[in-house]
Amino acid sequence: MHIDYWPAWLGGIAIGLFVLLHFWIIGRPAGCSTGYGNFCALACKRIKFFKTGEYSDINNTRLWFLLGIPIGGLLSALLSSDPWHWSFTMGMYDAILPQTDTGKALWLTFGGMLLGFGARLAGACTTGHALVGGAMLNPPSLAAGVVFFGSAMLMTWLLFKV
Amino acid sequence: MLNKRKLNFLAWVLGILFGFLMSRAGATTYDLHAKMFLFEDFQLMIVIGVAVLIGMIGIWWMQQQGWHSIGTGTPIQFPRKPWQKGLLLGAFLFGIGWAMTASCPGTVPAMLGEGKLPALFVFIGIVLGTLAYGVLQDAIQCLRQRSSD
Repeated sequence: MHIDYWPAWLGGIAIGLFVLLHFWIIGRPAGCSTGYGNFCALACKRIKFFKTGEYSDINNTRLWFLLGIPIGGLLSALLSSDPWHWSFTMGMYDAILPQTDTGKALWLTFGGMLLGFGARLAGACTTGHALVGGAMLNPPSLAAGVVFFGSAMLMTWLLFKV
Repeated sequence: MLNKRKLNFLAWVLGILFGFLMSRAGATTYDLHAKMFLFEDFQLMIVIGVAVLIGMIGIWWMQQQGWHSIGTGTPIQFPRKPWQKGLLLGAFLFGIGWAMTASCPGTVPAMLGEGKLPALFVFIGIVLGTLAYGVLQDAIQCLRQRSSD
């Protein structure tokens, strides 16, 4: 599925304004990774962690925010010149990922586990730390941002250049 | 001040907007991630740089003016994520996952909407990884209680 993306400056301005709009409407910073815990709470009722704190009421704005995102992706795809279709290709990554479908699925699931576990251990993901935390010049967020950019750069280099 | 139902609805609409913008900014295009980390293309680097700059100016302005939220009717909160145990290790693991999947928790749902099936497995992975963190926290709590008994 090819998306006709905007010039970088336009995308940046739009997302920057989005961050502000979210603050104005919801009254709190935008975030993505915390909301995944709402699905955990629904899937497994025995884990106490998903019943307290952020998760004491899981029918919250974080959950509904996450549920909206696929519709936005769908609209963007439908308005692109390439007609909407299912795809399992990943461009440049097809050359370096496992070559069987099962291998690819396991690789992606494991990568996703690192994203999920890492985001909780760090307290936020690219949205909460880099985008919003960066805009607030919050030292822990800046440190997390530098570290995940650094390790992603290192890993990408290992995957493509070694 | 809006009731919970209306606030959740607005969050859903904001989610739709966010998914659309992530997609149009190029954040759901796999190759742009590899090219950013290999310094071959600066699309996503510019997107995040410009977005952070706009956010910085806007947040400063909102704080200066003491803006109130439409949803809650109270002053907008600007909580800062704290230094927490494992922050740097967590960020390191997150980066490895980012490089392996060319996606992050915010772009995965948008990719699903675009019909990109790899995102389905990454989504399952993120839920499992988050679940593992919850299990770990429960175990730590349990051990703490036992040692204090």
